[in-house]
Amino acid sequence: MPFVNWLKRHLVVIAGLVTLGYLLLPNIVVTVFSFNKPKGRFNYAWQQFSLDAWKDPCGVADMCGSLSLSLQIAFWATLGATALGTMIAFALVRYRFRARGAVNSMIFLPMAMPEVVMAASLLTLFLNMGAQLGFWTILIAHIMFCLSFVVVAVKARVMSMDPRLEQAAQDLYAGPAQTFLRVTLPIAAPGIAAGALLSFALSFDDFIITNFNAGSTVTFPMFVWGSAQRGTPVQINVIGTAMFLVAVLFVLASMLITHRRTKQKA
Amino acid sequence: MTTSNDGGGDVRLTGISKTYGSFTAVHPLDLTVPQGSFFALLGASGCGKTTTLRMIAGLEEPSGGSVHLGDQEVTHLPPYKRPVNTVFQSYALFPHLDIFENVAFGLRRRGIKSVKKQVESMLELVQLGEQARKKPHQLSGGQQQRVAVARALINHPKVLLLDEPLGALDLKLRRQMQLELKRIQTEVGITFVHVTHDQEEAMTMADTVAVMNAGRVEQLGSPSDLYENPTTTFVANFLGTSNLIEAEVDTRSGEDIVLRAGGGKLVLPGSRCSAPTTAGGKVLVGVRPEKISLAHADEAGAVPEGRNRITGRIADSSFIGVSTQYVIDSPVCPEFEVYAQNIDRDARLVPGAEVVLHWNPAHTFGLDAAQAIDAGTGADEAAA
Repeated sequence: MPFVNWLKRHLVVIAGLVTLGYLLLPNIVVTVFSFNKPKGRFNYAWQQFSLDAWKDPCGVADMCGSLSLSLQIAFWATLGATALGTMIAFALVRYRFRARGAVNSMIFLPMAMPEVVMAASLLTLFLNMGAQLGFWTILIAHIMFCLSFVVVAVKARVMSMDPRLEQAAQDLYAGPAQTFLRVTLPIAAPGIAAGALLSFALSFDDFIITNFNAGSTVTFPMFVWGSAQRGTPVQINVIGTAMFLVAVLFVLASMLITHRRTKQKA
Repeated sequence: MTTSNDGGGDVRLTGISKTYGSFTAVHPLDLTVPQGSFFALLGASGCGKTTTLRMIAGLEEPSGGSVHLGDQEVTHLPPYKRPVNTVFQSYALFPHLDIFENVAFGLRRRGIKSVKKQVESMLELVQLGEQARKKPHQLSGGQQQRVAVARALINHPKVLLLDEPLGALDLKLRRQMQLELKRIQTEVGITFVHVTHDQEEAMTMADTVAVMNAGRVEQLGSPSDLYENPTTTFVANFLGTSNLIEAEVDTRSGEDIVLRAGGGKLVLPGSRCSAPTTAGGKVLVGVRPEKISLAHADEAGAVPEGRNRITGRIADSSFIGVSTQYVIDSPVCPEFEVYAQNIDRDARLVPGAEVVLHWNPAHTFGLDAAQAIDAGTGADEAAA
């Protein structure tokens, strides 16, 4: 049975490819349909190849405005959540304080809680405080739900860090600030970066919480949702494809850098 | 090397102690490590030796007492303000920096700009010139160990502290690094304080050894002094092997003390007895296994006068090449150990044979019988 043998030998590769295909299929569809020229307002059936949407990505009213808003919110939410989350992670790993155990498990709550519940309660909170819904309420909400992810990512890294490294730095004439900048931070960096990337992705595409707390402000996911009721412009696919390509470029660049480094050393 | 008269590299610990809650890790301790010496703190794990080292480094705040380096009091200085450097157990090399930057770290933190020459010559000293641009994880254990030494030594500390630096290496490499460290110490002339639980390591490397047990220094002296004349059962058992016999003081004759043990008499030089010797009092008599000669019972008459002798039966013997190790069952001590060089072996000395053990009384030492006779043996090491 040569075929069965061949199958046995390549099973892992086949399974890998199938999984990869499963993961990438939606992206492929988005990309293909970004080159479509739909009849009517809905971009759901393939008609003919066209570069129109790519030539004029901001051709749809208000879309690029909402995109820029989403990018800004994602940027600030990432910054805020990463800074706060990193500090919380260090505090939880390094210091013994009262209620440390409670804080440790409370941090996980936002990850486990249904988003819609959080969204509704946040809205109640903002309304009771008399807050003006908009950019700031969205930002506060995003920092809140990104925080847990940063804490988890950074904590894992800090926990696996040998405390003797910091003692060694101090022994070698580095004061507390120098020790943090030269030793602690660089070693924790991969965890912090992972937390930041997660935050960016989560904030950029959040819909439920944003929708509750945005007031009349419209972010990119809200725009896509809104336009899906009335017809989907091809430009949405263009933006989607572009985001995907940027992510792929990031991954390729980081792979290239690690590859270069290992090659240099060898 | 500059050997200043101000005692620049002396380490003086005065009444230093460390307690964690109700646990006392180090009891008030006085210790002086002279400039330029290779000093070892030896003891089983948990005996307080590493805590003592960390108090010198400034990584542990003493609960009491003071630390002086030369004339400078450093008791409350943070580690980065002390002129000492540490080689950590498992090295603690910075994983994100290459070997060059690891070694340059201390110089850079003190604001020294041109570090290249110094780092390169330091890497030459530890024979790692080729590895400068590698990351720590790409080196073997022995190489990492040498980086850790270079990273500390480049700062020309007054004192280099070594915390079990060879613990993670295999036996052969450990022997090699022992000689290497000893060579470097002689070359740079810096005071080394070395913490170890390996008695052989302490004895080969150090000029002076302090044996620690349960937060106290049991005995301090040169390796041969500690070995030949231990003053506690812990030291007698922890450094090598000792045969300890319970005996009773009979009389004093001049410098010597005559003791009764199991019907026989043993002679002990008064200067080698650390216990009070009142007539009728108990004393532990010790003798090292290699000091003892073994004769078959038939030859008992040929044993010269004036030697300490006891009788027994060979319970076990094992041939280990350079010597044969006998375990003798004797009325005064159930497991008496004797190491005999393999020259002119008597074929009758097999398990079951009746024998006479005899040794020069000058090799006998006396200990206070109030101590646990098995302190410092493998039995309590395993528990630690």
